[in-house]
Amino acid sequence: MDYLAEKFLKARKIPSTACSGCGLGQVHKKVLLAIDDLGLESADIVWGTGIGCAGRQTFNTWKGDNFAGTHGRVYALATGLRLALKPEQKMILTVGDGDAFGIGLLHLLHAVRRNVDMTVIVADNFGYQSTGGQYGYTTPSGAVTDSSPYGMHDPNWVQDGRDILDILKSAGAGFLARHTSVEGHNAVESIKQAIRYKGFSLVHIIYPCVTNFFGKALGSRKPVDAYRWLKARTNPKQQDIQGITFTTGIYYQSTSERQEFSEQLRGFTERVQKRCQS
Amino acid sequence: MKRLFDTGNAAITEAAIFAGCKLFAGYPITPATEIAENMSRRLPQVGGFYVQAEDELAALHICIGGSLGGLKAMTSTSGPGYILFADPYGWALGSEIPVVVVNAQRVGPVSGITGAPGQGEFYLSRYPTHGGNFESIVLAPNSVQEAFQLTVEAFYLAERFRMPITVLADQIVTDGWETLLIPETEAEIQAMGLKVALRQINYGPEFYPATDEIDVPPVVLGHNTGAACSDWTPTAEGFDTEEVEWQHKHAYRLIYKVRNNRSIISQYEEFALEDEPDVIFVAYGSPSRVVKSAVQAAREQGLKVGGIRLVSIWPFPDEVFHRSAKYLSVELNYDGQLVREVQRAVPKGSEVHFLGRCGELPKVLELVEAARTLINGQPLKAIKWEREAW
Repeated sequence: MDYLAEKFLKARKIPSTACSGCGLGQVHKKVLLAIDDLGLESADIVWGTGIGCAGRQTFNTWKGDNFAGTHGRVYALATGLRLALKPEQKMILTVGDGDAFGIGLLHLLHAVRRNVDMTVIVADNFGYQSTGGQYGYTTPSGAVTDSSPYGMHDPNWVQDGRDILDILKSAGAGFLARHTSVEGHNAVESIKQAIRYKGFSLVHIIYPCVTNFFGKALGSRKPVDAYRWLKARTNPKQQDIQGITFTTGIYYQSTSERQEFSEQLRGFTERVQKRCQS
Repeated sequence: MKRLFDTGNAAITEAAIFAGCKLFAGYPITPATEIAENMSRRLPQVGGFYVQAEDELAALHICIGGSLGGLKAMTSTSGPGYILFADPYGWALGSEIPVVVVNAQRVGPVSGITGAPGQGEFYLSRYPTHGGNFESIVLAPNSVQEAFQLTVEAFYLAERFRMPITVLADQIVTDGWETLLIPETEAEIQAMGLKVALRQINYGPEFYPATDEIDVPPVVLGHNTGAACSDWTPTAEGFDTEEVEWQHKHAYRLIYKVRNNRSIISQYEEFALEDEPDVIFVAYGSPSRVVKSAVQAAREQGLKVGGIRLVSIWPFPDEVFHRSAKYLSVELNYDGQLVREVQRAVPKGSEVHFLGRCGELPKVLELVEAARTLINGQPLKAIKWEREAW
């Protein structure tokens, strides 16, 4: 077993039940690398997950405490939980693109507005893959999926001058980054900064679903084809890459820290108590 | 003893504070808004947190999240919000997290009339979420004082059964003003029969044991117990599983921890049932106040009439319906909800009738006349609107 897995994960969950060749393991590993680099241990982190491939496959893998929310609601659960945890304890949520940018977007936005201290890792596989491969909010335009047999025609959150990270930035998120799972060190560095950030942080990581999405979009279920496709489109240097490309790195980093939600509420409660006593 | 003149909403607030509630997340809705307002004022005074949520889905999820970290939590709403609780309510039932939910019922369907009482969530409170394989616990106060006592009780049961408990009130109870006594000394607390359970922590490794026992501590996160709780069917250690055998154990625990401990939950009041009355009224919540007066008025007129008032409505106390009689269910709805359970619970040979009012209480004389009609073996008069051409 990998030393990271041995150190941080529950043996029963290794290997994961993800499809052979799935890119989720790359995302998961990058988060563990970041945690290891920061010198954090199981007691320092409470791990939450959502519904879908990203949530189900990472649920209860963490040796410490784990929870999984219903679809899209884990941000609200985490908001309540934040008030009960010690301020120095970290919360990491591994969720999917549908969970964060679709069904859970309202709660995600309000977690951003409140600046709840949590690090959301959106493991994005271009749609609803655990239900067989329907399009979602990051599915590339024109892509053939089970629910877009004539090509993806629905506007998404990452095209046409529109970026979900921009919406989150406007809502007040303090740290935002985007990466693909084929990246190495720089992605781990972004995750480290996100975890370190006291407040709401989010890292959007695109990873390939070899079984459903790429099976249909590329007509190949060979993992190597999917990884080559993603690699070629991650910060491409060649001019000949047509269509979708991914510009990665830190998207936004706030220069001034906004007060964190639970810190603010604790302070408020203390002030009211003092006022009532005097 | 602190003696106040206040609303049911105020009583529920003070009960939550009394029971050690430290987190309230809510969304404003008539006729429960005052609970949120009062909690926003009271909680910071006792070191607690008030969070105004973006919707009811978030409200109950935030409460459950706090409870998951060890804070006692409560939320309140009315019908339109209660239906939105379906998602988090199910999560708390399945993950077995204590939380208290107040529903001040107003007349529906949907938004209905905000300031009129209703009893439309009788069955919704039994099945507040999807999927089945669970029992629910629901308490129904009929006065300001009882709203206080049952809310304290709800917090107590939530801890012992590690599940969400609904306090099913109605607009008359929550908006109505009455005398409210709040005990202050240990003797006063005992005299009122109030119990408070402290939050225990489950240190594992079995977070979901296959047992019908209560008093199993819930999962509390943040203590590095290696705990796991989720919406998935859990193994004893909390791992998500697709094995049906674990589903059987999960369902067994959720159903039988309640069924096999019903005696702790069941509460009801009986009016004049000693002489095997001809007609027995059945009601819960504010209509039961009219029923009590009607039983007295009918007795004064020599009619053999009694009454049953349900205080806990789920699990349904079948045992109280052991007499053969003509039952009359009095409810604040026109479709008849409680009456269906009464029909199921009564002995063979009993008659079951229904008298519903929509958005307002029935009158005492109406009930006395209905009892007289049933005793004479005549059919109940139809409500006027049933026959009118619309």
